[in-house]
Amino acid sequence: MPQRAFFQGSSAKLLVKQGTLTSSQIDEIEGLLAQHGMRLDRRPPNLGISPRERGPVPESEPERLEDSTLLVRRTIRSGQRLHYDGNVVVMGDVNPGAEIVCSGDILVLGALRGVAHAGAEGKTDAIVFAFRLEPTQLRIAHLISRAPDEKLPQPQGPEVARVVGDRIQLSVYSH
Amino acid sequence: MGKVIVITSGKGGVGKTTTTANLGTGLAAAGQKVCLVDTDIGLRNLDVVMGLENRIVYDLLHVVEGQCRLRQALIKDKQFGDRLVLLPAPQTREKDAVTPEQMKELMKELREEYDFVLLDSPAGIEHGFKNAVAGADAAIVVTTPEIAAVRDADRIIGLLEAAELYDPGLVINRVRPGMVRRGDMMSISDIDDILAIDILGVVPDDQDIIVSTNRGEPVVTDSKSRAGQAYRNIVRRILGEEVPLMNLQERGVMNWFKRILSGEAQ
Repeated sequence: MPQRAFFQGSSAKLLVKQGTLTSSQIDEIEGLLAQHGMRLDRRPPNLGISPRERGPVPESEPERLEDSTLLVRRTIRSGQRLHYDGNVVVMGDVNPGAEIVCSGDILVLGALRGVAHAGAEGKTDAIVFAFRLEPTQLRIAHLISRAPDEKLPQPQGPEVARVVGDRIQLSVYSH
Repeated sequence: MGKVIVITSGKGGVGKTTTTANLGTGLAAAGQKVCLVDTDIGLRNLDVVMGLENRIVYDLLHVVEGQCRLRQALIKDKQFGDRLVLLPAPQTREKDAVTPEQMKELMKELREEYDFVLLDSPAGIEHGFKNAVAGADAAIVVTTPEIAAVRDADRIIGLLEAAELYDPGLVINRVRPGMVRRGDMMSISDIDDILAIDILGVVPDDQDIIVSTNRGEPVVTDSKSRAGQAYRNIVRRILGEEVPLMNLQERGVMNWFKRILSGEAQ
């Protein structure tokens, strides 16, 4: 077969994206590749970073983000800034000129009209939720979106913002 | 024991001084003993609005520095005499010449003597604002139906909370009902939506204010003025009465006719 001839004599590297393989599984893969005339390169793949720089492996990362949540029982007004390492829940409004920055999710049980930055340390699956989501600017991880210059109709119900692809997308909240 | 109320706004030019003068005069007309204090050091103008400029000998700074007795610096009003007095701001000195501690002491003294002490705060959120807030028991926030003024009012409400002055009353000044109706001006409910504090009063934009300010006679004593009526209502609310917000529709045959045509008049 032409395909077989094409791969003949080449070497392959194994990149495991999720989970781990036992050495017998790797041996099996090596056997399969050999049947097609390919050789498995067993050296650790070079990803441009050394294992140390990659930081702790996911399994050992503490579940701190999910655990710590700050409950704010008042309205955050213009000029007030709230920074928190974790999630933030506001029982009140976030007024224009106010700012919330946190490493986790932001939930506003009221109107969000100021600036909200969720997942500020790079957590792209962070969300921003509000009963009335009308932010001046919305940031999730490294992404920024702002309110359009023309006036929008007022949201009719709770909405949630999350990252879809490489954009922040607003949608009506449903669970 | 009297009550010390600071009148503040953040943004300049929204009508703090006019509000202070009118509420002070209105409270005095309602039989209260009132002291007005101008804390806008270096830029005083409450004395001008009250028409008392030419009677100033001593000011706030002389009092806190002990160069005169408090009684010597208090200027009696033309109309109400002892019942309404003004402590003017120094015109020439540095604005941080007075400290918040000195203000607290002064307020303690004034509270003994008067039913209401109204503090006219300077614009801004710096030293002068901190002075004005230092000795106060309550606050009135003045705003106009403009986004910048409302934004600053919001900032001020936050700062008042930080200074432990909770639940300030809101005065919305210079409302033009026609513009609101056409959607060219923020409405009362737009403002209430953001600030969410008790509305003490809504004052319509009124040419009488300019006339009365230039004359040095607060409009609150003018029974024909719409703005005067609005201020009298605020005074009654400060004194604990329940007064509904007044209907701001412009009067006159033409306006009535316009409303009929637009289907608003019922």
